Amino acid sequence: MRIDGDICIACEACLPYCPMEAISMQNGIAVIEQDECVDCGVCLKSGVCPVDGIIFEVSPWPRSLRVAFSDPTTKHKETSAGGRGTDEMKTNDVTARYKWGWVGMGCEFGRPGIGTRFRDIEKAAQVLAKHGAAFEPNNPVTFLMEDTQTGKLKEEALNEKVLSAIIECMFPIEKFKEVIDALKVVSEEVDTVFSVACINRADPDGSYPLRKMLDKMGIPYYINGKQNVGLGRPLANFLGGD
Amino acid sequence: MTHTLHRRGSARSLSEDYVILILKAIGINDEGNAPKVQEFLRIALRHKPVNIGSALKGGMIDKPEEVINIANNIGHAVFDNPEAVTAFLKELKQANLGLSIVVSGIFEKVDECLDKAGLKHHTANFSLGIWGRTDKLPGDDILEITTMCGHALISPNLVKEMARAIKAGTKTPEEAAKILMPQCTCGVFNPTRAARLLANIAEKGEIV
Repeated sequence: MRIDGDICIACEACLPYCPMEAISMQNGIAVIEQDECVDCGVCLKSGVCPVDGIIFEVSPWPRSLRVAFSDPTTKHKETSAGGRGTDEMKTNDVTARYKWGWVGMGCEFGRPGIGTRFRDIEKAAQVLAKHGAAFEPNNPVTFLMEDTQTGKLKEEALNEKVLSAIIECMFPIEKFKEVIDALKVVSEEVDTVFSVACINRADPDGSYPLRKMLDKMGIPYYINGKQNVGLGRPLANFLGGD
Repeated sequence: MTHTLHRRGSARSLSEDYVILILKAIGINDEGNAPKVQEFLRIALRHKPVNIGSALKGGMIDKPEEVINIANNIGHAVFDNPEAVTAFLKELKQANLGLSIVVSGIFEKVDECLDKAGLKHHTANFSLGIWGRTDKLPGDDILEITTMCGHALISPNLVKEMARAIKAGTKTPEEAAKILMPQCTCGVFNPTRAARLLANIAEKGEIV
């Protein structure tokens, strides 16, 4: 994003809209600091500029990553999905991606509202890979990996900044404590925040094995969360002709 | 796409915050869903949601037909009470749309709604909270509002500006929430809850 300095009237209306605080007044006009801007488009889409002085120009790789990860109305070329991850558990009643005995994990770097460079994401990806996590193949961060066995990202992506990006992976529930302990170490090494989500299929009696494990390990979790309620028609029905 | 997870707040505040979404599974049932998603939104409107949205247009509860007309593969509806959630889920069960339905909210409250609607939870996503440089975060009172847009499109500074406007008497909490609402393009922002939270911030001392 940039502001046309020739038409900016210095009203400062756009300043509070930037989630990254990347807009400031310099020499009497509003200026967007390019290295901090994540191309989310909030300033432009808010319609707050009275002279239409906010401009979005398509950027070449690797800066193109910024809009792809930061503007949820943009689709990733590789996955055809909008947003920053996949449908994860939201369609698990249809896809059966998360099976009994497994835990899905989503580490959303930069969330909430701090932003992240891919170099911090790589730190966590490499640690998760060391502990045997299987990365979700359709996740856009996975597409940036040079090697999914090591979690190494493409070098040219590392300094790009985005509003947030999610590492999605999966591992057997027996490895949960080991993975959490490794993530705790990573959390002390990164220069941003990340929000951690853990997915679990309910047992036939309605209980969640992961919740029991979290309680036993004394790991705090929010009282609120997301639940798929099983109204989707399972993939098996499609395959069988329903 | 964990955009309705990680919403922060007290049990009391979160008890007024439920998001229900319908969506397709890419590569499996991702064709011809517009009528189903539109039906989902029309059923939702019968139960007085505080917001509705598609993936591209949100914060347009005053113009629901505009949202319904472009709804394709994803729909969202936000409610501020569990009774409406239960009634909506009952109708969704009867409608048998065949796409996945996800409910976000306090687990205990949502399970009560599911039970009354004759449904069972299938898979959960638990939030283990925020890790790393939490010293960079704004205050919890601001986060309670900004985390209602999971894509972080609502700037903390805009929230503060709205709170200042309420304090100065130039905006009501409802007017301020209405300015924040369209920043969340998915339409999962809860303006009713936001207005209460903004009023609370405005009542406090200096807003920095």
